[in-house]
Amino acid sequence: MKWLRTNRRKIWTLAIALAFVAVGAIYADLQIGYYTSTNLGSISQTAPVANQANGAYKIAAFPLYKTTLAPGPGRQDVESYCNTCHTPSYITMQPPLPAAKWKAEVDKMGKTYGAQIPAESQASILKYLDSHYTPETRKR
Amino acid sequence: MNKNLRHSSRRTLLKILGTGAGAFALERLFPFSAHALQMPGPAKRLPSFTGPGANPYWNSVGQFATFPQKAPMIMLTDRPVQLETPRNYFLNAITPNDAFFVRWHLETIPNEVDLSTWRLRVEGNVNKPLTLSFPDLLRKFKAVTLAAVNQCSGNSRSRFEPRVVGGQWGNGAMGCARWTGVHFRELLDMVGVKSGAVQVQLQGLERGKGPKGMPSYEFKKSLDLKDPVLDEAILAYSMNGEPLPMLNGFPARLIVPGYFATYWVKSLEAIRLLDKPDENFWMNPSYRVPDTPRGDTTPADVAAKKVKMVPITRMPVRSFIVSPDGDTKIPAGLPLTIRGIAFSGYGRVTKVEFSDAPRGAWRTAQLGEDLGPYAFRTWQFQWTPERPGKYQLAVRATDEKGNVQPDEGVWNPGGYLWNKIERQEVTIGVAQ
Repeated sequence: MKWLRTNRRKIWTLAIALAFVAVGAIYADLQIGYYTSTNLGSISQTAPVANQANGAYKIAAFPLYKTTLAPGPGRQDVESYCNTCHTPSYITMQPPLPAAKWKAEVDKMGKTYGAQIPAESQASILKYLDSHYTPETRKR
Repeated sequence: MNKNLRHSSRRTLLKILGTGAGAFALERLFPFSAHALQMPGPAKRLPSFTGPGANPYWNSVGQFATFPQKAPMIMLTDRPVQLETPRNYFLNAITPNDAFFVRWHLETIPNEVDLSTWRLRVEGNVNKPLTLSFPDLLRKFKAVTLAAVNQCSGNSRSRFEPRVVGGQWGNGAMGCARWTGVHFRELLDMVGVKSGAVQVQLQGLERGKGPKGMPSYEFKKSLDLKDPVLDEAILAYSMNGEPLPMLNGFPARLIVPGYFATYWVKSLEAIRLLDKPDENFWMNPSYRVPDTPRGDTTPADVAAKKVKMVPITRMPVRSFIVSPDGDTKIPAGLPLTIRGIAFSGYGRVTKVEFSDAPRGAWRTAQLGEDLGPYAFRTWQFQWTPERPGKYQLAVRATDEKGNVQPDEGVWNPGGYLWNKIERQEVTIGVAQ
């Protein structure tokens, strides 16, 4: 006990030094060889298509990629009507747009491009876009 | 124990203690759990969208995706297909075919073209209508090659504030290729354009699911017959010495040097001489810009219907910093080669200037090989940052008509004609 008391300063110094070394070692560990289980996804290589020496110049089918639309009422109308001419990637690619802009877009699809969408489905599409894709509501 | 050894081991201990002390200090600032997450932290992806402010990234934020005949590219949309070229490809003046950007308006585009039946029709107000086969293009005309930049009208649309609807491109909706084909005028001379003709209309194999007569059914573009750009236009069947990729317009597309890509109609099947101006949707109101300096206007003026709109034509002068891209911290004192490209739709780029501070002096960069007036011109600048810190690198180009890139953005409802001076922040670190 007496030894402990007389060497108290030395012991404290040693303890603090060891703590420093431990923290340092953990810190050093994070700087090298640090892997994470988070993966960012990968892309498959495309297989070449078989072409013959005739007049037909072929490529493979164009791939479709999954666009995840926000869940909620109206999504089904978006997926069935909008999908005729374009995938939902056309929606998710846009920046968050004010409700008036979405209204103009839905109107344009009908009046300018000739999309045949019943009035009640137009309203449900619009409500869906306002609920998930405006500056106030967009989350993903 | 040897005195030197003892000395060095003491120094090592001091170093360990020093590292520990540093970590300890950091730990006091940030709780350890959060610290562990940041250093180096889990792999993170870019946000899935940008806005309502401007997109701060060089490219758009879409995911990489593969398509036939293409390297992984940044996907804006999958149907119709819109793919952006990643930044690194612009280190060279020629963009490879497999990384060249893709933009279709409608979804029904060819997976296959049968050249034994494919014919290009030249029709309308002509004395002698023609149908040309692929070998006709190769054999009946003199082959010409021209390097030219193809840039989407909406390139960099994601920079607009307030944001506008449309393809949210970063800077990669552009590319430069060596196009080989036939002089467009030579082809028009062969059919004999009638005196009443005013425009030439181009149509490709692209179709949509919309009803006939609607813009969602077909895509057509027209140019004035008196437009001098037609003297330089080429009907190209080869791109960088290879067939055109299907997604870039196999078997032939129009090259309109200096003009935005909207007129470079892909997978051509008809050239039509019109006796009155084309008023189809893709000519009016689509692809129109305000008839003002730089095509600039405001949302208020557009809403008040004060703005006269005219068809988009030539590409304003632009330049880009390609490397460094800000992803790499650079040690002070390391000599760097800043590299990039410049181009203008109004002719040759005559000067590229570089600056390393917001109000810093512009210094002339060295220009690379001249591939012609409408091609990308590479540039570089030797730069050795001596002091650590954050630097705002900037580049601006001047073309032979004296047009200089401005330091202001532009706004118009279509999201066209962006050519503001580009900046890149880089971090220079202590190296000793």
